[in-house]
Amino acid sequence: MADIGSGLIAIGAGLAVSITGIASAIAESSIGAAAVGAMAEDDKLFGKGLILTVIPETIVIFGLVVAILLWLNM
Amino acid sequence: MLLPEPMSRILVVGTKERLPASIELLYGLENVHVVDFSPDEEGFTLGSPLPEASDASRMLLKLRSMEKDLKVDEAKFGNKVPISKIAPTIDTTIEQIEAEMHGTIASKSAMQARLSEAQSKLSLLQPFRSIDLDLSMYKGYGSLDVIAGHIHSNPEAQLMEALGGEVETFTSSSGNFIVVFVPLAKADEAQRVLIQNGLTEVQVPEGTGKPEKIASELEGEISALTKEMEDVEKNIEQLREKHADFILASDEHLSIVVEKSELPLRMGASEHAFVLEAWAPTADVGKVQKAFKDKFQDSIHIEVLEDRSREEVHESKEEIRMEAGMTTAEVSAVPMSQETPVKLQHGKGVGRFEFFTKLLSTPRYNEIDPTIAVAIFFPIFFGIMVGDVGYGLPFAVLGYLGLKKTKSKEWRGISTMLFYGGLASIVFGLFMYGDMLGIEFNAPHADELSWSALLGVDIPRVLFSIGDIPIQLGYLTKLGDVKILLYLTLWIGIAHLIIGLALGFYNMTIRHGLKHAISEKFSWIMIMVGFALVLLVMVDVLIRGFALDFTDIRFLAGVGLLVVGLVMAVKGEGGKALVELPEVMSNVLSYTRLAAIGMSKAGMALAFNFIAIEMLASEGGIMIIVGLLIFVVGHLMIFVLAIISAGLHGIRLQYVELFNKFYEGGGLEFNPLKIERKHTLEE
Repeated sequence: MADIGSGLIAIGAGLAVSITGIASAIAESSIGAAAVGAMAEDDKLFGKGLILTVIPETIVIFGLVVAILLWLNM
Repeated sequence: MLLPEPMSRILVVGTKERLPASIELLYGLENVHVVDFSPDEEGFTLGSPLPEASDASRMLLKLRSMEKDLKVDEAKFGNKVPISKIAPTIDTTIEQIEAEMHGTIASKSAMQARLSEAQSKLSLLQPFRSIDLDLSMYKGYGSLDVIAGHIHSNPEAQLMEALGGEVETFTSSSGNFIVVFVPLAKADEAQRVLIQNGLTEVQVPEGTGKPEKIASELEGEISALTKEMEDVEKNIEQLREKHADFILASDEHLSIVVEKSELPLRMGASEHAFVLEAWAPTADVGKVQKAFKDKFQDSIHIEVLEDRSREEVHESKEEIRMEAGMTTAEVSAVPMSQETPVKLQHGKGVGRFEFFTKLLSTPRYNEIDPTIAVAIFFPIFFGIMVGDVGYGLPFAVLGYLGLKKTKSKEWRGISTMLFYGGLASIVFGLFMYGDMLGIEFNAPHADELSWSALLGVDIPRVLFSIGDIPIQLGYLTKLGDVKILLYLTLWIGIAHLIIGLALGFYNMTIRHGLKHAISEKFSWIMIMVGFALVLLVMVDVLIRGFALDFTDIRFLAGVGLLVVGLVMAVKGEGGKALVELPEVMSNVLSYTRLAAIGMSKAGMALAFNFIAIEMLASEGGIMIIVGLLIFVVGHLMIFVLAIISAGLHGIRLQYVELFNKFYEGGGLEFNPLKIERKHTLEE
């Protein structure tokens, strides 16, 4: 049976992914909406829109890495 | 292969008598990209369209209105008509069809008008039908007010009470429509009561006679008209079948005539001569010159102005204009005729991936066309993420069918993605993971689910050996070897990014020379390699639990490369390089998604397999069918999700991580004069 320490690490890992996930989602939602608006005006902006939209994804990737580091130390 | 095709700028000058024939020739060559003439050159004005343009446009207008009247659907009529059959008599034939259509179309619109009038009258009469009062009874009173309308509840009792009996009401049989006759003096009071009962007032229709009778007459008229309309529609259909091919063919023919005769609008013209500037692939310039010489001998002058080099000239040109005293507004008003069009050159396989490059942006003339990088890396990434024979096979089959059947660019793009991604998934599924539908071919532990146990067939784990290296069905499992997979994806990322930087280095060299390339791109390659070395040490320390040793040669070399590279980058690009430094780490970490998405797929597959096979099917009986159902639905869901997640993330890693290292884009696509015929045949 796992001890309480491992349980807390697992909760920490879960929080790291979930909170950063929510944060990226909030950031991407407004950028994405603006990007779709810009694309409606000019199709050529698709590339720029896509790149700008995924910039906040870095946050969740850092969260994922933290989670994995925690998990590996469990 | 890597760079867009070399281009040359040519100048064609000739007399106006030769203009129509030259236009024909230019369209026939199909490799001349015309540059719009800028009328600020002395002695020349913009050319004017050839005289046949106005006639053709007039006829085109008639044809388009016929297409609309007859509802000709372009996709349904695919016959190709030879031009010689339509061109000589096009004018008279159009008039003939017009005359033939005229009666039908006119009677159709007259009938439509009558029909909609009858329908609107009927809808007005509808509520009055069940009240047996002549329409003339509703009007012409001096001291009475008539209120008619829909109601929610029956107000009769309330009205009687409020108006002291001085009221006459008629309610429809359904009870939700009422007509009220009240003395003028009490009209307001009646209104109030009626509104309390949810009155929506309607107008009393004009006319005399019993509403029921008028309405049924109208209904008769409507059904007669509808029937007549059907006949007219049949007529129109006959006309459509008869003339659609001609109409579509003439439309196409005349559109081509108009396009060709409007080409002079893009040329310069003097009183007797025309001048045209254009781009052609350098390799084809000889062909263009020869074609003109064969047709016109020496009476058309054709000259190669330049063979465009890859060096960046655009910026310096703008600077020259600025120095010449032009304001910024004037500079930007000068047309970009210097922009070299870009013609990508690929074989059939790689060419299919052009869609993904162009979706982002067309490459510039002086940069590496990234299509080949997408064609190599996208399937690999897709394969690593999906990595399952059970999904790879249907992906490949779907993609193959799509490439065979579909025509539209978007569907072909998606089919390309599925086909090559599917093939890569099969390869990775067989040899890297040894997986089919989340179940391994041959599980290392006897108690795990595997195909060999399920089917009762012995599937060998080692297929064959090359030298001492055994080729196995699967080396890793997506859920069991997470550490190794994550580690592997980091190195894939580093390799991918270094390739991107190397391409950027090459771009910079051909544009601005080696010196710029070293300070702006090679510096980043050094930083990346330094980071990779430090990463090795970090993995040892953080994950394998070794003590940090500052004298480790990898650590020293890594930090050294990082620092030197950073200094060079700051010198080359300024302080912005410092801001970009953390991006190195986030870029590399971004590739961990390759493992993470693979894990999520495998996790879902594991859950469905467990439910379907171990929980349900092992019960036997009806449960086998339920288990099978869950198995199919579950895997179908994963399959669909795989398109979205693996496809999207696979392409995103190209666009965001790789392309950012070298790709600028925003080029002008090579768009030669060319005629595409769908409904006509040229002989």
